[in-house]
Amino acid sequence: MMYYQFTVPWIIRRVRDVIPTIAMLFVMAGLASAQWVKVPLPGTPRTPDGKPNLTAPAPKTPDGKPDLSGIWTTNSGKYLDNLAGEGAEVPLQPWAAAIYKERHDTQGRDKPQVRCLPHGAPDAMLVPGYPFKIVQTPGETIILEEEFNQYRQILTDGRALPVDPNPAWFGYSIGKWEGDTFVVQTTGFNDGSWLDNGGHPHTDALHLTERFRRRNFGNLELEVTINDAKAYTKPWKSTTIPFVLLPDTELIEHLCENEKDAPHLLSK
Amino acid sequence: MRPRNATSYSAIAIVAGLLFFSATPLPAQWLGYRIPGVPRTADGKVNLSAPTPKASDGKPDLSGFWESDTAYFYDLAKDLKPGDLVMQPWAKALQAEREGKEHQDDPLSDCMPPGVPRINMSTDAMVHPFKIVQTPKLVVLLYETSANSTFRQVFLDGRPLPKDPQPTWLGYSIGRWESDTLVVETIGFNGRSWLDTAKGHPQSEAAHVTERFTRRDFGHLEINITIDDPKTYVKPWSAKVPVHLLPDSDLIETYCENEKDEAHKR
Repeated sequence: MMYYQFTVPWIIRRVRDVIPTIAMLFVMAGLASAQWVKVPLPGTPRTPDGKPNLTAPAPKTPDGKPDLSGIWTTNSGKYLDNLAGEGAEVPLQPWAAAIYKERHDTQGRDKPQVRCLPHGAPDAMLVPGYPFKIVQTPGETIILEEEFNQYRQILTDGRALPVDPNPAWFGYSIGKWEGDTFVVQTTGFNDGSWLDNGGHPHTDALHLTERFRRRNFGNLELEVTINDAKAYTKPWKSTTIPFVLLPDTELIEHLCENEKDAPHLLSK
Repeated sequence: MRPRNATSYSAIAIVAGLLFFSATPLPAQWLGYRIPGVPRTADGKVNLSAPTPKASDGKPDLSGFWESDTAYFYDLAKDLKPGDLVMQPWAKALQAEREGKEHQDDPLSDCMPPGVPRINMSTDAMVHPFKIVQTPKLVVLLYETSANSTFRQVFLDGRPLPKDPQPTWLGYSIGRWESDTLVVETIGFNGRSWLDTAKGHPQSEAAHVTERFTRRDFGHLEINITIDDPKTYVKPWSAKVPVHLLPDSDLIETYCENEKDEAHKR
């Protein structure tokens, strides 16, 4: 797990994930007005005592689609460690298997985040302690990533995937609805990111499919299909990744400042 | 990054100090895709003089892909008359020192965010656009900076500015409509970023920046910026920055790769 500049909000968020009620009261007493860490959000369904009702039905947008908007986070580091899920067989090409073994054996010492380079998709959403916000609008769905203050755009205005794009860390994403599932296709990746911290590789041939489904107000699920013939002998699916909603809060600015963080990052 | 054709020696000297991810020719992705729902003239070109569109809640819709006039990246105060901008003595000394060094100590050249309002500004050597995505309670600004791609959020849900916030590069922004103008107020700065790049006008953590966004017509936006920073400036001062639409185009991802760009830093 990477430790960047150790800020108070990071600690607080981590504590909140583990011991919700008690930590929240502590946080509220200390930081109630500090920086929107606790801010009541309009449109949140609530129980009679005013708490967000996380089992309320998933909200809908004006055009009748499920609304994925909200701040979401993983509740475990295991998905970032291994996108395939523990014990899963991943159909690696031989060269990719060798790379994976080396990365795995060195505990991901050389992963791109060491040099303040971004995670890619989907792993930027899987970082414990760093939530992401989905902002769903008619023409595009934006994912704001708290880690490194980055964004992804998922264009929903009918355009096709680009032909021969300039390679990018997050690629180029288009999305459409299949029933209640938001299906995102992404191509145009550079080969810099790892699929997970364990080091599953990908190449610029990666065609990623992410299927998001909001089960209810407080729960979102993601299934990922990796289709990268250069690195894998056939497409494979991730384990199902659950996200929980963080209600009544806001993202915190986060940046990687290389020189300052270098001692922390290389300590392994 | 997006190169452009205009050249200016001082601009290049400054931009040479900036980090950039890669200098590639105009890339193929989604540039030229005809975005649906956009007013067009008979020949299919975007009609930049069409009226300002309205959002679902009846407000002017600022959504679009924009580029500012570039002069204000270098000197935000360029249009001010003598006496409009009065620096505190420490700020005057610092600004004079910075001006001579061609933004050598500018955190932007170390890959830190440009700060507010400078993040809105494009440059002469490279196009640095931004996208506004407006929803009734939240306006998201997505930036293609000379450092990393990043975003700002402007909250229109009635929340007040935070008291005693943790200092940041891009601050905490709330917005409200005053007739057809979106008034954005931002506080909570860390005092490290520069207001502009050739002059190096300072900004302290006490700064309260107001950006008034008015969309004149489909293709034209204006940001009236007020800097209220009593630690740095004896009185508030304002700058008006014209911004134009970049039709049928989209953001390009930018990231600094610090070791690779080490050679560019001065």
